[in-house]
Amino acid sequence: MRRPGVRWFLIAAAIALNSLPLLRPAHRGAEFSHPAELPAQPPPSRPEPFFTQELINPGSPRAMSHVASICELPDGRLAAVWYAGSREGAPDVAVCFARLPRGQTNWSTPQTILTPERASRELHRAVRKVGNPVIFSDAGGGKLWLLYVTITLGGWSGSSLNLTTSNDGGLTWTPSRRLTLSPFFNLSELVRNRPVPLSDRGWVVPIYHECIGKFPELLWLREGADGLAATKSRITGGRSGFQPALVALGTNTALAFMRDCSPRRLISVAQTDDAARTWSPPRALDLPNPDSGLSAIRLTDGRILLAFNDSDTGRGNLRLAASADEGRTWKRLATLEEEPGAEFSYPFLLQARDGTIHLVYTWKRQAIRHVAFNAAWLNTRQSQPST
Amino acid sequence: MSHPTAILVLSAPGPWLILLLALQFLANLCGLKTRGWCRLTLLGLAAAGLLLLPIQGIRIAGWVRSVSASSSVPFIGLLAVAVWEGEFRRKLFSNADWIAAWAFGALAGLGLYPLALGWGNFDPYEWGWSFSPLFAISAVLTALLLWKRNRFGLLLLLAIAAYHLRLLESANYWDYLLDPVYCFVSLLALAIKLGNAARPVRATNV
Repeated sequence: MRRPGVRWFLIAAAIALNSLPLLRPAHRGAEFSHPAELPAQPPPSRPEPFFTQELINPGSPRAMSHVASICELPDGRLAAVWYAGSREGAPDVAVCFARLPRGQTNWSTPQTILTPERASRELHRAVRKVGNPVIFSDAGGGKLWLLYVTITLGGWSGSSLNLTTSNDGGLTWTPSRRLTLSPFFNLSELVRNRPVPLSDRGWVVPIYHECIGKFPELLWLREGADGLAATKSRITGGRSGFQPALVALGTNTALAFMRDCSPRRLISVAQTDDAARTWSPPRALDLPNPDSGLSAIRLTDGRILLAFNDSDTGRGNLRLAASADEGRTWKRLATLEEEPGAEFSYPFLLQARDGTIHLVYTWKRQAIRHVAFNAAWLNTRQSQPST
Repeated sequence: MSHPTAILVLSAPGPWLILLLALQFLANLCGLKTRGWCRLTLLGLAAAGLLLLPIQGIRIAGWVRSVSASSSVPFIGLLAVAVWEGEFRRKLFSNADWIAAWAFGALAGLGLYPLALGWGNFDPYEWGWSFSPLFAISAVLTALLLWKRNRFGLLLLLAIAAYHLRLLESANYWDYLLDPVYCFVSLLALAIKLGNAARPVRATNV
């Protein structure tokens, strides 16, 4: 650096290299997929009201099952994942996978697709626990994506996010890769709810941070020429609203419904009108939340459907509520479970291409229950009082 | 993004250099004071061997990677400088270079970590994903340090080069500039320097 020529060259290099990212697009900015851009929806297969329910994993040898998610495969089959083991957070907890052929109610025998040992081998790290699997599928290509958390030390606040994919409907999975999303030892990034597709064929996945604070975030996933890009943005900071459920209302507008761990015990919601660049401060809904997970989707008829524990003290019930005015007012439509002291939790909603609404949730921590119904059944339900 | 194997290999220099520095210190304590390439090679091999030892079926390097995927580029550079200076007794960094390094680690860390962990609605970590004020500040700071002939500027230049080459697992520029261990060491080093500066100078007998 003693020679002026070298010094000027280094200074020019510093400026040029720091300016290069100007040529790349911003890490977010894609709009939410407009419903018209999604693959054509076949007409509802059963116009008359129907409602079915069954356990996905009846008689599971594992004492505990928890945190299920569900998606639709290109051929109309359903795929579900959850984690199961002797107890939550135990070293024997594994991620299980099962499929349901179209029109049937008997799920395939659950397969173990991820264990701490496998995750440890693929990620080249020590992994003591796995959990919170969220599965989703490309509308066109049929690729399955599976996000899940791993823990090396401590509890859930020590989680990191990982991704694996399958191109054969879940028969085989690619080696997992770690997503670096936090500057502080990449700690405390978790996933729980369904993603929303983007106009550039990417995904925005609602995730959350749970360490000193608890707050909702968004994971942006895109596959490009350089491979997979995974970036993150924040919905809001704070210490009470987390596990967001993201519902797109238009190409730029979305709502994020959040679990509440504050003494207020009410579901809160934040809104964006600029494709998640900025969010409104969260406001409380007139619906309780006992510090438990919830799920929300926008139905093809425009209503928002919410599955939640309708209590501010426990998870002994599970209800459905709907809003026809973009989340401003809500009507309770159906009670799916009601047993004081029991636990019915972590619902995950999906509306399949044939219009059928699917819901999976933790049933008494012993099994995963799958419920299927259609909009006609929802329309037969009367508004119910709160408890 | 680079090949996973390359990322795996490039996650090792940080812990390897920390271990090497510790072994250097121990060697000096034990009276092995014949410094030079021979001792450096032996200590380097010993440090690498230690990192390859398995604990519960996972190498120590794997355990370290489980907690911290990789050290930041400036911190790796500072460790390399410290090892070199300790072995060859030749100054690569002046006092001003070290102060710039510690000040950067401390200030950037204090600016980043509390906000990234949820203090407020703004997350500065988001600045690292694509062009943002972080890159502008980095350009100005690096240019200024290089203009002042401060060698810490070279480490910042290496950090932006490594970011473009995607040499670390992370795709966020912050992770190339800073890591929590670097921030902690910077705060400690600055505290020691401030403590020394505040200590009254003893009068010496002539």
